[in-house]
Amino acid sequence: MKFASLCLIFALLVSGCSKEQNFDERELHLISLEKIFGFDPIHVSDRYSGNENGKVYEGLFEFHPLKRPYELVPNLAESLPTVSEDGLTYVFKLKKGVLFHDSPCFKDGIGRELIADDVIFSLKRLADPKLSAKGWWVLDGKVAGLNEWREKHAALESSNYEEEISGLKKIDSHSFQVTLTKPFPQFQYSLAMPYTFIVAKEAVTHFGKEFLNHPVGTGPFHLEKFEQGNQIIYTKNPKFREKFYPAEGAEGDDKLGLLADAGKRIPLVDRVVVDILPETQTQWLNFQKGKADLLELKSNYERAMDKKNEVHQELKSKGIRLFTDPMLDVTFFAFNYENPILKDRRVRQAMSLAYDRAEANKLFYNNSAFEAQSVIPPGLNGYRKEFKNPYTKLDLSQARKLLADAGYPNGKGLPEITVQTRSETVARQQIEHFAKCMEKIGIKVQAGMNTWPELIKKVTTKQHQLYTMAWGADYPDAENFLGLVFCPNQSPGSNGANYCNPDFDALFRQATILQDSPERTAFYEKMNEMVAIDVPWVFGFHRTEVNVTQAWLKNFKHMEFNHTQVQYLGVDLEVKKELSKKF
Amino acid sequence: MKQHSLWRDSWGRLYQDKWAILALAIVVVYSLTALLSFMGIIASDWAREVGGSNLPPSADHWFGTDIFGRDVLQKVIRGTRVAMSVGLATSLIAIPVGVVLGALAGYFGGWIDDLITWLYTTFSSIPNIMLLISITMILGKGLFAVYVALGATSWVTLCRLIRGEVMKHKEREYVQAASAIGGGHMRKLFRHILPNVTHIIIINTSLQFQVAIKSEVILSYLGLGVQGEPSWGTMIDDAKLELSRGVWWQLAGATLAMFIIVLAFNILGDALRDSLDPKLKGKT
Amino acid sequence: MTKYILRRLFYMIPVLMGVSLIIFLLFNLIAGDPTAVLLGKNATARQMAELREQLGLNKSLFAQYLDVLKSAFTFDFGRSWATKQEITYMIKQGAYPSLCLTIPAFVISTVLSLLISLVVAFYRGKGIDLFIRFMCIAGMSISALAYILAFQYFFAFKMGWFEISGFEYGFPDFIPYIALPAIIWILLSLGPDVRFFRTVILDEIYQDYVRTARAKGLSEISILLKHVLRNAMIPIITYVVIQIPYLILGALLLESFFSIPGLGGITLNALNSSDFPVIKAMAILSSVIYIVFSLVSDVLYTFADPRVKLK
Repeated sequence: MKFASLCLIFALLVSGCSKEQNFDERELHLISLEKIFGFDPIHVSDRYSGNENGKVYEGLFEFHPLKRPYELVPNLAESLPTVSEDGLTYVFKLKKGVLFHDSPCFKDGIGRELIADDVIFSLKRLADPKLSAKGWWVLDGKVAGLNEWREKHAALESSNYEEEISGLKKIDSHSFQVTLTKPFPQFQYSLAMPYTFIVAKEAVTHFGKEFLNHPVGTGPFHLEKFEQGNQIIYTKNPKFREKFYPAEGAEGDDKLGLLADAGKRIPLVDRVVVDILPETQTQWLNFQKGKADLLELKSNYERAMDKKNEVHQELKSKGIRLFTDPMLDVTFFAFNYENPILKDRRVRQAMSLAYDRAEANKLFYNNSAFEAQSVIPPGLNGYRKEFKNPYTKLDLSQARKLLADAGYPNGKGLPEITVQTRSETVARQQIEHFAKCMEKIGIKVQAGMNTWPELIKKVTTKQHQLYTMAWGADYPDAENFLGLVFCPNQSPGSNGANYCNPDFDALFRQATILQDSPERTAFYEKMNEMVAIDVPWVFGFHRTEVNVTQAWLKNFKHMEFNHTQVQYLGVDLEVKKELSKKF
Repeated sequence: MKQHSLWRDSWGRLYQDKWAILALAIVVVYSLTALLSFMGIIASDWAREVGGSNLPPSADHWFGTDIFGRDVLQKVIRGTRVAMSVGLATSLIAIPVGVVLGALAGYFGGWIDDLITWLYTTFSSIPNIMLLISITMILGKGLFAVYVALGATSWVTLCRLIRGEVMKHKEREYVQAASAIGGGHMRKLFRHILPNVTHIIIINTSLQFQVAIKSEVILSYLGLGVQGEPSWGTMIDDAKLELSRGVWWQLAGATLAMFIIVLAFNILGDALRDSLDPKLKGKT
Repeated sequence: MTKYILRRLFYMIPVLMGVSLIIFLLFNLIAGDPTAVLLGKNATARQMAELREQLGLNKSLFAQYLDVLKSAFTFDFGRSWATKQEITYMIKQGAYPSLCLTIPAFVISTVLSLLISLVVAFYRGKGIDLFIRFMCIAGMSISALAYILAFQYFFAFKMGWFEISGFEYGFPDFIPYIALPAIIWILLSLGPDVRFFRTVILDEIYQDYVRTARAKGLSEISILLKHVLRNAMIPIITYVVIQIPYLILGALLLESFFSIPGLGGITLNALNSSDFPVIKAMAILSSVIYIVFSLVSDVLYTFADPRVKLK
């Protein structure tokens, strides 16, 4: 008994020390679902690190927080660039009076004004061979003279940033010109990505390798505390330039109250606290306790919504709201064309026909996802609603027939097939389901669980039979998706299926140099539907993003490219104080 | 040496311990369950859908159903197969390696001892988790990798214990006597010394067995567990997501099944030690 | 004595060489390609080749092993490949939360186990002995993962007694965060501790000197506390000291679910991202600590029991 009572005493001693909430400061509490890789924008490739960098740094452009389809708007740039007739020369103008954060790296510790040299410096950093930036691909082969500069310096001891590059020319203190090697209309999108966020040269030199812990940007927030794997805290940048909440949005935004803050100076909060919580249960319990204002649900949507995708009554009574919005992404099981068995189109088509998408949608996404017909997700030009891939329906008899035609009646003669995936609970369950479907036509499937590096290694060295993954858009253009099946991108590139179709490749080369136009859309549609029939992947889903928010969080609207989102979010302290009794 | 009466004594003492007998019975029942499910006699159609997704416990399905509508009870029963085989295979790897190396080190001393001591110090000073993860990476994931990984990390304790015990016995009179009548090293070691340290192996195994079962859960959490077949580890791993939407029965089923067998092994291990360890003879 | 200690410290060299070799073989030859992780999903083959060169992955295996060995003896681990942070800084940042959790949990569970062991030794063979032992063993028979999931949900979320997750540096700020994981740690370690301590104490109770003391008319309790406990201290101290290395490495599951940014989580992340420099550093750190504390435990043994001679 002593044991039990001692435990109880101990429990009582330490209990009651839960922390009090703060109702006086406009403070946002967010959760990062994954760990953060530091504050050097050139290495920021994942969404979560991008979100954190976007609080401190800014790019030349951003996506409009409200308007849909996504619209590129100037951020540090004064306006959208002027593009020459041939689509090769871009002239950019910067906003005047934008200041870097105060930092000891500057003279007297006072942040100076942003100038064109900073942009050129930041772009050169991305190309610096000594830094091996994750984001190099956005510029690779695109800017005149940049690859030559990179190659030259790869062999040298250190990189010389002073050396002029023909494609990156300063015009005056606030404007510069970029010359491309070939027309590439998606170029301006890359200037809204975290890779191209603008950093100050002084900070890079002053902090050296520690730069990633001491970001000096122009953004709305200062980094106050950065504990990798635990917590990040930001405070409002008092010298942030005059930037205002947009006055117009998409249709219906005013009814949703998304325009209530129109014209107000942003950011709308003074402090942002981000907890880094990779465990699902931990995230969910924290949110339900009111310790987070916003949470993205990655799986098990049923904890928040019923069968009709409505928020549960119990949550509703606390004012919790649910947002389900289509994402620009696609999930897939990619075949490896180097595998002689899977190279046979009939085997691929049979497997695609046997995959029960409706059931998978119900089990894993609470019926909220869209079955993918091909690679391009809805919301991008190139996606055609009417198009139905004949091989994405569930048709076991046709699947069996195709399999028999290929010489494997009822799966006889086929070896066991391994699907490589990440070692994660949901990934395992999804392959279990896939295996269950394939068993119905006599194909044995097993899961190969991998750490991320192992999975990448298997795919890049073509050791896989199938692998499964989701691809999220880097920018709102179908080129980003069609590139996944473009022959020159095959392993170790992003075309892990090693799919090669000369007709497709020819169209791809033609289409991707065109500006957005009906002509280009027609190309995209044709390519999308061409790939669909070949079934290089068992097409999965275009998922929806599911978010839950507390009643006091204002202005939340799903953003696919949400690095700048936090500056538009607000907190209603009255509501928070009132509701906090219920938590 | 009065080997036989010593063992009979121990068995007598064990037999009097009601708890130990109950624990032994549980171990036997689990082993039979595992064996029967291995032969496909019970729980062979665990993969069949018996109802909707995630149904709560009912008269038909005592532990409800899982995400694919499979009966959780069937999965729990099927899971004994993985659990017991993990325990068994781990022991089958750890015992020969640990005993042979430990005995050699303890008996011969000198550079052999130095080498083996170096080997197990090295192994035990690397965090287990690193060895587990790297070994499963090399062997590819799956049941076999789990066996080897757990075996490779659990021989160390046994090796150290056996080494110490053999060192003690080496100096005893009966071994000296065996030398006097001209027994070879191997004969002395395996015929005379080892039978006298068997109790250590038995006690250690009964305790290692449950450690292996518990480790399978951790490996499953890390995504290194068994594929394509239910195990308590993967069930508990599923539960970490499901619990937040109120699906508690997979966790309950797997935890309960595991609790009973681990408890049984613990009690049995204690009882075995009390009855087999001559030092503690009659002291409890 | 000094000679013995020096010899044992010298012994660290072959062990460190062994550890470096095993870790090197396991992770350099077999694990995933770090360049893919370091460069992200859009990496080009050429860029990967460049990075391999920079990381020294193109050197001969022997040269690479020498590099590992060098860092094992200089303790210069460089920077993490994945997070690009200084590894010594990461270890410092991670050791603190790990120790904040493990030391209190360890101290409490050891003291508690000792108390319980004395009680059960006093009542040996009686109902209460059986009952307490049963409870302790039952406590350790539940999977750590099940404890975590259930306790976090019930005690932290439903009852609101503890923080659900997180960590704050500095005393006493960290207490609400580590309380619940510490309780789970204690529940899991009472079983093995009580089992060991009880055996040791019983071992002493049947010695001749106890019989003599009893004959002299000393009360059972004072015999237990004065004589038995003092003599049982030797194996107890050894047992306790040898566990210390594991405290520093933290508790993997507890740390990840309660979001405590300790070394357990750092190790796991490194393993998951083929972050070889961190894996190497953690393996070396742990083996050094392991060797040092097994030495400490042996030395304490001689102090506590002068009959034991170290050779």
